[in-house]
Parts: sequence; C-alpha cells; structure tokens
Amino acid sequence: MNGVQQALIGGIEGGTAILLPALGELVGQRAGVVNLGTEGCMLAGALAAFAVAAVTGDTWLGVGAGLLAGAACGLFHAWLVVRRRADQLASGLVVWFAALGITSVFGTGYIGRTATPLATLSVPWLSHLPAVGPILFRHDALVYAGYVLVGAVWFVLFRTRVGLVLRAVGERPAVVAAAGGHPQLVQMTAVIVGAGIAGVGGAQLSVGYVGNWFNDMTNGYGFVAVAVVLFACWRPAGVLAGSYLFGVALAAASVLQAHGVAVNQYLLDALPYAITLVALVVVARRGGAKAPEALTAALTNGAA
Amino acid sequence: MPARLRRFDGWRRLCAALLVYLGALALFSVVVALKGGNPFSVWSTMVRSTVLAGPTLQETLLRAVPIALAALAVAVPARAGLVNVGGEGQLIVGAVAATGAGVAIGASVPGPVSWLVMAVAGAGAGAAWAGLAGLLRTALGANEAVTTLLLNFVANDIMLYLIYQLWKDPKGSGQPESRPLVHAAQLPRLWGSQLNIAVLVTVAVAAAMWWLLRHTGWGFALRVVGGNPEAARRSGLPVRRLLLSSMLVGGALAGLGGMLNFAGLELRLRPDITLSFGYIAFLASWLGRHQPVKVVGAALLFSAIALSGNGLQLTDGLDGSIVDVLLALIVAAPLVLTKRRRGAFL
Amino acid sequence: MPVTSMPVTSPPVQTGTDTAAAVTDALLWVDGVTKRFGSLVANHRVSFHVHAGEVHALLGENGAGKSTLVKVLYGVHRADEGRVVLDGVAAHVSSPARARDLGLGMVFQDLRLVPALTVWENIALHAGRAGRLLRPRRIQAEIAEVADRWGLAVDPAARVADLSIGERQRVELLKVLMSGARVLILDEPTSVLTPAEVDALFDVVGRLRADGVGIVIITHKMREVRTIADRVTVLRGGQVVVADRLAADISDEDLVTAMVGTTVEAIGNTHAGGGAGRPLLQVRGLHVRGAGEGSGLRGIDLGVGAGEIVGVAGVAGNGQRELADVAVGAARPDAGAVLVDGETMPANDPAAFRRAGVCSVLADPLREFVVPGLTVAEHAALWSSAGTGRIHFDVAAAAGRVADAAAWAGLSIAAPDRRLDQLSGGNIQRVLLTLALGERSPVLVVSYPTRGLDVLTAETTRRLLLDARGRGQAVLLVSEDLDELLAVSDRIAVLAHGRVAGIVDAAGADRRQLGRLMTGAPADGAPGDGAPDDGGVTGRRMTGRRVTGE
Repeated sequence: MNGVQQALIGGIEGGTAILLPALGELVGQRAGVVNLGTEGCMLAGALAAFAVAAVTGDTWLGVGAGLLAGAACGLFHAWLVVRRRADQLASGLVVWFAALGITSVFGTGYIGRTATPLATLSVPWLSHLPAVGPILFRHDALVYAGYVLVGAVWFVLFRTRVGLVLRAVGERPAVVAAAGGHPQLVQMTAVIVGAGIAGVGGAQLSVGYVGNWFNDMTNGYGFVAVAVVLFACWRPAGVLAGSYLFGVALAAASVLQAHGVAVNQYLLDALPYAITLVALVVVARRGGAKAPEALTAALTNGAA
Repeated sequence: MPARLRRFDGWRRLCAALLVYLGALALFSVVVALKGGNPFSVWSTMVRSTVLAGPTLQETLLRAVPIALAALAVAVPARAGLVNVGGEGQLIVGAVAATGAGVAIGASVPGPVSWLVMAVAGAGAGAAWAGLAGLLRTALGANEAVTTLLLNFVANDIMLYLIYQLWKDPKGSGQPESRPLVHAAQLPRLWGSQLNIAVLVTVAVAAAMWWLLRHTGWGFALRVVGGNPEAARRSGLPVRRLLLSSMLVGGALAGLGGMLNFAGLELRLRPDITLSFGYIAFLASWLGRHQPVKVVGAALLFSAIALSGNGLQLTDGLDGSIVDVLLALIVAAPLVLTKRRRGAFL
Repeated sequence: MPVTSMPVTSPPVQTGTDTAAAVTDALLWVDGVTKRFGSLVANHRVSFHVHAGEVHALLGENGAGKSTLVKVLYGVHRADEGRVVLDGVAAHVSSPARARDLGLGMVFQDLRLVPALTVWENIALHAGRAGRLLRPRRIQAEIAEVADRWGLAVDPAARVADLSIGERQRVELLKVLMSGARVLILDEPTSVLTPAEVDALFDVVGRLRADGVGIVIITHKMREVRTIADRVTVLRGGQVVVADRLAADISDEDLVTAMVGTTVEAIGNTHAGGGAGRPLLQVRGLHVRGAGEGSGLRGIDLGVGAGEIVGVAGVAGNGQRELADVAVGAARPDAGAVLVDGETMPANDPAAFRRAGVCSVLADPLREFVVPGLTVAEHAALWSSAGTGRIHFDVAAAAGRVADAAAWAGLSIAAPDRRLDQLSGGNIQRVLLTLALGERSPVLVVSYPTRGLDVLTAETTRRLLLDARGRGQAVLLVSEDLDELLAVSDRIAVLAHGRVAGIVDAAGADRRQLGRLMTGAPADGAPGDGAPDDGGVTGRRMTGRRVTGE
C-alpha cells in the first residue's frame, strides 16, 4: 500500500468526522442559522457515545447517545438564537464552551478506558475493486452513513416540501410566514437536527476513527465544519469534497511522517486549517454562491 | 410609551435579569451536584480561594492581564460590528513574537529597551494576525468569525513547531519549552509582591481604550459603523478602513496581552501558555457588552473563576474545567436577555 | 399605512343604474366595510360588487383607502364593521390562508417571492399542493400548461432573482391561479411595469375575464380604467364616491373629479416663476439598473439652478430613489454623470458630495440615517463631520448647534441627549430636517420631507424649502405628494419608467396633468416612450391649465 493510498484511506476516515457535522451545519445554515457550537455538539456527542459504549458495551447505543447529546446542545443554541434572538456567533461559542466544560468534567473517568470500536465493514464485492475498493469500501459503518447522508440531505433539501420550506426560511422567513408557515419552528428543528448529526460526527471520532476519549478531542473540527459549509457554497456535494479534502490533509500529515519526511509534525498539523482558510478565501474571491439571505444578516451583523 | 409604563418595564427587565443570572448559577449548581459535589461547598471554595486569599488574589490579577487585553481585542472590533474570535491566536502570536525578540536580545540591552522591543513585537504580531482576518473580510468578504477561529489553530501549531523544534531549550528538562527570558528582560515586580508592571500597563491600556472609544472621532466612527453601516457610508465615513483599523487595534491589544503574560509571568514559551484565555476573553467581552470598563471587570471576574478551578480540584475533588461551564452559563445570561433589549428599539 | 387624513365632507355617491341586478348574482360582494386605525377611519362603509367575467377597477388616489380595503378583503386586517359575501354566502376571511381557501387570489404590489428560489419552487412553496415530495418535472409541466393556457410565458426553471419585474409578476399570477382563485385582486399591478409589460398583463387579464374569473384592479390611473375595466368604483378619503358604475357610462371628467374631489383648492404656487440662477446641480444621461423591483433610471437629464426648486413626481419605483441616491453620491450610476456647480463629481463618494455642498433629506431615515444607540446630539456631530475627512466629535457643541438650528428653523426636536432610535418616526424626521436644512448648503436633495409629520410641521417644512430657495439654494424635491410638489416647486419633472416623461412649470400645472404624465403618457411635444395614449382625453394642452374647482 503506497502513501497516497494510505492518505486517501485516512482522508475518508478522518474526513467523515468533518463531513457529518458539516452536513448538519449545512441543514442549519440553509435555514438561516449558523452554529459555531457545532464544535461543542461534537464534543458532547463524542463523550456521550464513548461513555455509553464503554459502559454498555453496545457501540451503536453509544452512537445513539451521541446523536441525542448533540441535539441537546443544538436545542440550547436554537432556543437562544431563534426564540431569544441572541447573536448567533456568540451563542455558538457559549454552547461550545459549556460543552467543553461539561465533557471535561464528566469525561475524566473515561480517559484511558476502551470501548468496543465500530467494526470495519468491507462492502462485499465493491471493496475488492482495484484502487477505489480499499479506499472507499473498507470502513466502519458511520463512514458509509456519511456517504448516504450526503445524498439524503440533498434529497430532503431539494426534493421534498420540507426542504423547500426550510430553504425558503433561510432566505425570506417573512414569505414563508405569509404563506401560512412557521419560520421559527422550521429553524429550531433544522438547528436541532443538524446538531444531532454533528453529535454523530463526534461519535464517529471517539468510537470510530480515534477509538478513544480525551479532553477537547475534536480539536476544532466543528469550526472547520462550519468553514467547509461556507466554502462549499451551501451545497451537499461541495461539503463532501471539502470534508474529504480536510481529511486527506490530516492523514497526509501522519503519512508523510511515517515515510520519514523531515517536516515538523506541528507545521503539518497546521496544514488542514490553513488549507481550509485558503479554500474559504478562494471561494470568497470568486464571489461564490450567494449565501441564504437570512444567514447573511446573521453573519455580517449588517456591516459591509 | 408613557413614562410610567417605561419605568415599569425597567423594573420588569431588572427582575428578569436577576432571575436569568440566578438561573445560570442554579444550573451550575445542578451540574456540580450531578458530578457528586456539594454546591454550597463549591461556592464557598470559589470565593475563599480567589478573593479571600492574598496570593491567589494577586494571581487573579496577573491572569486577568491577558484575559482583559484579549477581551478588549474582542470589544474594539465588536464596536464596529465585527466578531473577533481570534483572541487565542492573537495572544499566542504576541507571546511568540515577544519570545523571539526577548530571547534574541537577551541581556544585551537594558531592561526597559527590551520590554519596549518585546511589546512592539507582540503587539505588531497580534495586529498582523487579526489584520489578516480583517483584510479577508473587507477585501474578500470572508466571514471574520470563522477565519479568526481557524487562525487560532494555525497560530497554536506554529507555536508548537517552534518550541518543539526551533526554539527548544537545549538545557531544558526535556519538557518542550523555549529558553527562559533573561532576568534583565523580565517585567519588574511591584512593591515586592508577585504583581508586576503588566497589571499597571493593562489598567493604563484599558483606560486609554475607554478614552479612545468614548472621546475620539475614531471611537465614535466605529460605533456608527457598527450601528448602521449604511448610515456611516452615507455620512462619508471610510467604512472599510474603519473595520480594518478596529481589527488591527484589537489584534495589537491581544498581542500585547500575550507579550505581558510571557514577559511578566510565564517567562518561557510552553504549550498551553494561553490556557484558553483567548476564548474566556471572548466571553468576557460579551458579558461586559463590549464596553471597556465593564469588559475589564468581566475579565477580572472570569480570571477569578478560571483560577478557582484549581481550588475546586484540591478541595472538592472536582475537575477544574467545571468552571468553563460556569463561564458559559454566565455569558448565556445576557444572550437570553437580548430579546427584551431588541424590543426596546421597535 | 396609507391612511388619509384629508377631511372629507361625505361626498354624494353616484351609483350605477343596475345595482339591484348586481347584488343577486355577484361573485364577490363587499358590504359596508369599515376599518379604523385608532381615530383614523381608513374605510368607511365601503361597498361594491364584482361579477364573474368582469374587471372591476377600484380607483382612487394614494391614501384613498384602497390598500386597506384590499387587506381587509384578503384577511390581513379584520373589518370593524361590514362583511364580505362570496357567492351569496357571508365569508369569514380570518387570514390570507383562509382567503386562498375561499378562492380569493391576491397579487400584491411588493411581490411575495423568494428571489433565490426558482419559479417552480416558489409556486410549490405557496400552493399547499399534494405530497411531501417535490416532483420538479411534474410541477414544471403543470406550470407550463397553466402558463400556456393564460399566455403567461415564463420559464419554470429560472431563478426568480434573474427575472424582470414583469416576469416576477407573472409568477405571482401563476401562483395565485394555480391555487384555484375565482376572484383575483391585483394591487396596483402596473405601477412597476413597462408599457409593453402592461399590455401583456392586460392581455392575460382579458383571457381570465373571458374564462369567468372575477377581477379587481386597484389603481389610480385613468388609462387603466379605460383600457381594461368593465365597471368602476371610486374611493376618496376612505369612502365610496362612485359605486359600481359601468365604465362606459362615466366620462373621464367625472372620474377625475370624483377621484380628486371638487373641494380641493388649487394650491397655487405663487412663488414660482422667478428666474433660476446658474445650474448648481445637474445630472446628465444617468442610467442606473433597477435594484429589485424598481425601474431604475434609463437616461435622465435634469438641472436645478440656484434659487430653484425642482420637484420630482412619479409613482414609487419609477426611478426616484435611484435619482436621489446618485444625486448625493450614495450610488454609482451605470452611465452618466452628476455635476455640482459645473464640476463633475466622483461617483459613489458621499464625502465628496458633502464637500461640494450637497445635503440630503434621506428617503429612508431608519435605514440610512438612524444609528442605533446614538443620541440626537451624536447624530448631529456625525452629520456636521461628514465630508470633512476627520470626525469632529464634540457632542456638547453639536448639541448646541442642533438646538440652534432647530430654533432657527422653527422645528421642535427632541432633547439632544435622547437616543434617536427610540423616537417616533415624526420626531426622527424633524431631527433629519433640522440637520439637513440647517446646513444651508448650496444644493439640497430632499426626499419625502413631510412623511410622518403633522400638518403644522409639514407646513413649516415647506416654508423652509421656500426659504432655502429664497437664499439661492438649489433644491431637488422628490415626493409622491402632488399637492406638496405643486405648492413649492418651480418646475416639476415627472418620472415614469425611469425616464423623464415631462417637465412642467409648476405655476401652470395641475394634478391631472401630472397624473397623466406619471402613467408614462407623453405630454405634448415631449418624447414618447411608446406608451399608448389615453383614450378620450387626447389633444388637450398639457400646460397652462389649472384646477380651479370645477
């Protein structure tokens, strides 16, 4: 197995921990709410999943717990920004900090413990395809869930009435209200569902990719997920590409090191964040797609 | 609205505020109880270990230095409507630049000169780091909250690279850290206490920021831009330049905070030198509603709370990070109260 | 809310001859609707009938109560008295959704579409059509079919943001038709359309009529009554003054009299006629692409001399906003230039315009003037520092200055330490007027100066404008209030569809003449823009007549 292949395999695995929260964030942002607390939702999801998996021995029960923990954080954020009209960015950071504290406190007992990791499932036949087989089809189930979810999010957003209303809320809530809809309800739901997906992303990190729990283990992935949604121009396919790009950059660092390339580990660690930044800037420079109107208002505070 | 009604509304708002803050404290008590702690014992530990003990009071003041300056780094751009979440990264680059300058100069110049050089280096680096995000915003429209956040991680990795490799102390204990700052370049202590001049500098800077924001055209213009950019544009204000200047000034403040923390207290560059102060500072600025005096007060409060985590660990056997929950809940309170404030505009 | 404050001494109602027959088979019967807002009576016992296969025009000036009536009909407002009868059954129209269920379709003036979504998505969003899944092909096919049937050509897959205003209106129409409306209400449908688009719209309306749909057109344009309406009801001051008359049975003269009222005195502009000095403000060949739902500017040339007030009249959205913005340097024209005192100004540089001596009473104070959290004095400080390159921040001095200016102007404003964003609209307007007029700058660009003001302050404001002219200031006055324009202007330029439809001397102008120009009908000798002329009132001299209370 050569280095490129290793990096790609690792990229898919690690990229999933970005892809899931980014898809959740995509749902929220399409409804006009940005959630920097995604980072916190992931942390909560990661710990809840790991703890439940470690205690019960049932990894999937853990993933379910991760989903609920993420959604709970999302409820907090949604309540603050939708019902109380709090600043979205500040509220997101509050959610993150609260989750950071709570997971540190309640996670101390789980540091160093082991939980049954998610099993690697090779997709029959497909996994034996030359080149792409091992890269795409020998992973844990949550990686496949990521594949499916990209399509599912696209379908819901663009091919169902619910998705149509959600997108309209993200653009012009008043039009939806005039048509007899309930913009606030739509936003609350979108944020909570998105946060739940982010929680599953955290679970993928703790019981899948890393197989461990330690404090602040998300290391900014949630923030990267928010950035990915921005530079993906709010499109599921773009989110997929951006997430795996970040994942590959992450994996490349360790692969390079394993191959004895004499670049400092920490400089390589900075690479994924730097790449995300550059991608963000490149898209901004090209003009990108227009952000949902309601979201623009939240992101810019009206400033030029 | 008739005056009588308005006064009634004021009372209602005060009561609501009290309720919400009490609710935050109650919620924290619940978290403590869930973790098996005794909330009353925890509260008393927090008060005793920070306010009532002399040495920790001094440490509270010292730790409040980077928090206050990084909080002002949030407050200044916030006046112009920008969200700077990059206090952490700006503190780090400030400390890194100060380390570079301080260690390079060594004892070759008198103390005051090296303090000045380090301060300029730290502030300059912080300004550059925040200015990058400001430029991306004003020139390209990239959201500054997201870019400053990402830059935090880049800054941290750069610092780690330096102290694990380039600047690693060959005579160190094996811990990854830079060489220590020579004694002559360290900030002078005050009156034989643990406190150093950084505390005074912070007070002076905060006062200066208060004056700048309150009593100069620049501060006034920032408020106009933050309040209504269209009105600012129509009044002929250079909106983009003002936005950028707010980020530069904010970054310089945080960079200075990083430098003071390094040259006054830490003396070596080491991982976790910032202890998430940059993020705590963000919360402090929101608690102080981006007004310099209140922001510094909030920074002091948060410094005390952050430090009380140590006491909790020793006395109550709780993980110190539990105080992060308290910080978040306290800041959630003004966010919960926003709706009522907005209502006043309508 | 366009609620009239004009005192009306219950005018005699002229009723159609066939009212009795109308009641029995009317599709929609509005029966004695009264709507009050506080002490203001927006509609007083308004009644009219709409029959299947008939176009009914609701005619009236701005503020006659048309919009309120329509909102009552559509369930946005609840009537205080009276009822709405559909097909002989009293209907409780409690909400727009209920109105749609009852078969009432409404096309609002400000179109209710989501620009970022496609045509089919907007239609699917509105119509609570079957199914949780969207089937783009099927919906698009349905749309195409309905569109084809009514002659509403529109691409179902296009993004609404990319459509012209006329196309957007067609989407609105489709939206309403596809939800099965039997009564269609069009609120000022032509106010934002080009003449060609108006023709296309009327073509569609004709087809709908032939198909048995009952149609209500809210309008203040005579020409539309003549072109499309079968029956007409005229509102004035919230009351019906002409009820259910067959359009063929009533002369233009009578309609105009009913609409404007015989009691309106000619507000003779006795000040007009003085020779203007050298041109201080000139715009040349201005083109501005219309933003959103306005027409933009399509080649405007206009000059304002020293000691002259040039009024700008027109229906909203015909380029007034763009003109005022460009004239103060707040927007960049696509072509053309602005000259101040003969100097070509840099585009989109408000500071340069202020330095050159251009002050502005802004069209939308809340959006363009009020900074939340700042006091009156601080706004004054901001105002006086504009264009100086540095900011004078002396609140005390600014407070003194604004108080002096208010005293000088005779306007009473709030205390300097009050927060401006907490004041009422009228109080904000007084502060804005004090600052803008108190500057006594060579050029004044004034938009809707008396909006939200009480009668007395409005008078003071007009006097201030005349004083400004007397001092030799050049004033460009944008307003939708024809009385105001006639009262203070020397000349009035009428904008229609982004062009100057005509410039008339205020001294010899009357409201009807201006009203005709506002529809885009060419004045004698003025270059036409392709709009078909009014039937019936052709050949009259456009200048030199005054309304003298006929």
